[in-house]
Amino acid sequence: MSEFVALRLREYRRLTQDGVLAVGVLISLVFLGFFVVYPLVKILSISLSSEAVAVYQRLLAGRATGQVILNTVWMGLGVASVGTLLGFLFAFVQVKLDAPFKRFFHLIGILPIISPPFAVAMSVINLFGRSGLITHRLLGIRYDIYGLDGLILVLSISFFPVAYLTLLGMMRALDPSMEEAATSLGAGKWRVFRTVMLPMLVPGLASSFLLLFVEALADLANPLLIGGNYTVLASRIYMAIIGEYNLHAGAVLSVILLLPSLTIFFFQHYWVSRRSYVSVTGKPTGYGHPIRSPWVKWPLFALCALISGLILLIYGNIFVGAVVKVWGINYGLTLEHFHFVLFGYGSKAMTDTTLLSAIATPVAGLMGILIAFLVVRRKFMGRSLVDFTSVLGLAVPGTVVGIGFILAFNQPMWGGLVPKLTGTGLIIILAYVVRSIPASVRTGVAAMQQVDEAMDEASTSLGASSATTFRRITMPLVRPAFLTGLIYSFARSMTSLSAIIFLVTPRWRIMTAQILNEAETGRFGNAAAYCVVLIAIVLSSIGLMYAVVGSATGAERLIET
Amino acid sequence: MRRFIILFAGMLILSLLLGACGPQATPEPTQPPATNTAILSTAVSPTVEPTATEKPVTGPLTVLCGPQEDWCQAAVAAFQKATGIETSYVRLASGEAVARLQAEAGAPTFDVWWGGPSDGQVDAYTKGLIEPYVPPNAAQIPDVLKDPNGAWTGIYAGALGFCSNKGVLDELGVAVPTSWEDLLNPKLKGNIAVADSRTSGTAYTFLYTQVLLHGENGAFAYMKQVDNNIFQYTKSGSAPGTMAAAGEVAVAIIFSHDCVKFREETGANLVVSFPIEGTGFEIGAEALIKNAPNPEAAKVWMDWALTPEAQAIAATVKSYQVPSNPNTPVPAQAINLSQVNLVNYDSIAAGKAKSALLDRYAAEVREGAAAPEK
Repeated sequence: MSEFVALRLREYRRLTQDGVLAVGVLISLVFLGFFVVYPLVKILSISLSSEAVAVYQRLLAGRATGQVILNTVWMGLGVASVGTLLGFLFAFVQVKLDAPFKRFFHLIGILPIISPPFAVAMSVINLFGRSGLITHRLLGIRYDIYGLDGLILVLSISFFPVAYLTLLGMMRALDPSMEEAATSLGAGKWRVFRTVMLPMLVPGLASSFLLLFVEALADLANPLLIGGNYTVLASRIYMAIIGEYNLHAGAVLSVILLLPSLTIFFFQHYWVSRRSYVSVTGKPTGYGHPIRSPWVKWPLFALCALISGLILLIYGNIFVGAVVKVWGINYGLTLEHFHFVLFGYGSKAMTDTTLLSAIATPVAGLMGILIAFLVVRRKFMGRSLVDFTSVLGLAVPGTVVGIGFILAFNQPMWGGLVPKLTGTGLIIILAYVVRSIPASVRTGVAAMQQVDEAMDEASTSLGASSATTFRRITMPLVRPAFLTGLIYSFARSMTSLSAIIFLVTPRWRIMTAQILNEAETGRFGNAAAYCVVLIAIVLSSIGLMYAVVGSATGAERLIET
Repeated sequence: MRRFIILFAGMLILSLLLGACGPQATPEPTQPPATNTAILSTAVSPTVEPTATEKPVTGPLTVLCGPQEDWCQAAVAAFQKATGIETSYVRLASGEAVARLQAEAGAPTFDVWWGGPSDGQVDAYTKGLIEPYVPPNAAQIPDVLKDPNGAWTGIYAGALGFCSNKGVLDELGVAVPTSWEDLLNPKLKGNIAVADSRTSGTAYTFLYTQVLLHGENGAFAYMKQVDNNIFQYTKSGSAPGTMAAAGEVAVAIIFSHDCVKFREETGANLVVSFPIEGTGFEIGAEALIKNAPNPEAAKVWMDWALTPEAQAIAATVKSYQVPSNPNTPVPAQAINLSQVNLVNYDSIAAGKAKSALLDRYAAEVREGAAAPEK
């Protein structure tokens, strides 16, 4: 026993040997504990407090409560299925088809990552709604897009890049020799696909499915806009907080939303993703033989082109909405919406959001890489706990993060040592960082696992300190991943709505919250202009990164994969 | 590698700089320049007691704004220009506002509540969230448009009505509705929009009008029948009008002046009509928030908002309510309230009944569609 303790102590001493690194690590850990774990604990304790009993009673009495949960589940299942299929199609075409426009398809496949909330839903209502340009004006029908079907369409388009990127990476890593072996044993293409390729992709498909399910559950923007009277948990939490400012009801509903999200996410994280059949053999891998049969190739190509066209139409329509007088009614050109966003009332939202995101991005990036370093390169007790905590920010729905922040920080703590954070810009930055850290950690972990530890060891044995090694060896090697993480963080912060909607104040205007405001009061032109400006800011930040740092960076990897 | 270090250092420095100047922009009350004081004393009407003008009133002032976004923006900009008081606003629906004030009781974010049906202000006053204050200019406002106890003062008035998209109605083969009963037409199923009475003052006016017409039980029976035809309950009272303008629904139950606004703004084929049985109306009110962080600035705002100059701003952003100050010119587009059959809507009684009626509304009409706990 004493030996065990001594060993553990030695591990910690090794961690603290190096001042700079130790401080960085300590800050990251304190941050995770204070801003990720503590708010969740607060939500749990309030949802179990005696005041919450009344909320449970009324929830159980209301006949619609079960319906809301059921609605949420159906939506999650629908989005997970359709989104995974879409992702699979795009990845398959990318890897297995020898067809033109593949680069274009790839860009379409990642475009939704940078899209602001509401953009897709607004455009879809405008195109396919009851008075939609296509459904009503072109086809003459009054199609009711509101509800489950509209939600599945909009959310699948918004989130399928998750499935696409997962499956793309997996398909590229598949060892083509397996397929070659099957083919040379006489199996036809279809049989190879069915019995060799598909089984090897099962973990990827399952993990896409589960991730999309969790993302769909967490989404707030789309149910508000295109849900009609189809209420899901996220929109109901929004009503509880915004409409009644009932924090107890918010906490209880958050726990109901949190449990399935966490369960599924960690099932995915710890079980499915470990059952990978991807074989890194060290042997040269190729992409195998592309499919040449025109009967398979062209229908797949056509389907992919059709869907890409639809996505392009939906995004293009947002630009149309931003430059016409009244979207859907009066198509006279105007610049007044852009004027409103760029120079008028909206300009403060634009600068505020960019400023807060720009502060949050490097903080999240640096902490993410430090945590990744800690998890991959250092052994100590509680390492898996750190790993777990760092991805929590991804598994916890944004609305829950927001409510947790209100509950935890709406009064001064420790006798005023920590001031009341709600109402400040700082709390929005903190929410952005919490939401961005997981992506930074994950890209960092993936990159560090690929770098042989021998290089670190060589540096250390030549006398470099741990901090020097981190700075001179580890950091340069994981630079592309670090930059990818930065870009993701920035894009994620700029487009984040659910986490900050309960935290915005009159002093700090946030673009996504303004978009909600404009869309809710029917000023779709301004909302569309906000969306276009937001997309432009994110794209130019990627471009800036690309221009400054040049090739072999995260920016390039994001675009070319 | 070097480029990378430069970039990274740059980002860090940038973030530090931004971080350093970020918070400064927030809490410090800015001392207005001497010239602003001069503007202030001329802009505020001479009836203000001398104590108010002796020491300069400074910002920041935070307004809880009830009317449409663009009116809020225009009013805040004009007030800042006239007084030099740094002002920001948040637009909240009436029920949202009461919920928020209740949650923040003791330490409110807001100084003054400006606009939205006075039922909401009465409800808040009953709950001890309003500090009575009679601005000097309230002397110019007719008695029917202000609270005898001085809890709130009216800034405009308007009537509830139907806002129909004629094109959609024609497609459905339904005539423009002219009675509350017309809304029960099965052909209108899924084609009527109204806000949620718990968040929206507009929609509460709709509910309380039914109470006046049918008695409480009859009102809920009616609300449940209409519920069959409702497409969506929105958060904000005027939002259904934008759905009608876009042709997503046939009829919106909103304040008639909002319908005129949407018609002018969008050019959509919108028709305003009123129920023959009689309809409710609102007195858009302003009130001082209890324990407001900056009550002095709030009082300057409240007095300013009653001046004809301030009230004339509404028409410039196409908000055609009837202004409460008789000296404010009534816009030509305003609905002539004397030609509408109005129910005898007592907003003080309506406000006092609000909490209980909404509990019943939540349980019987909207059960489970939003959080049930009050």
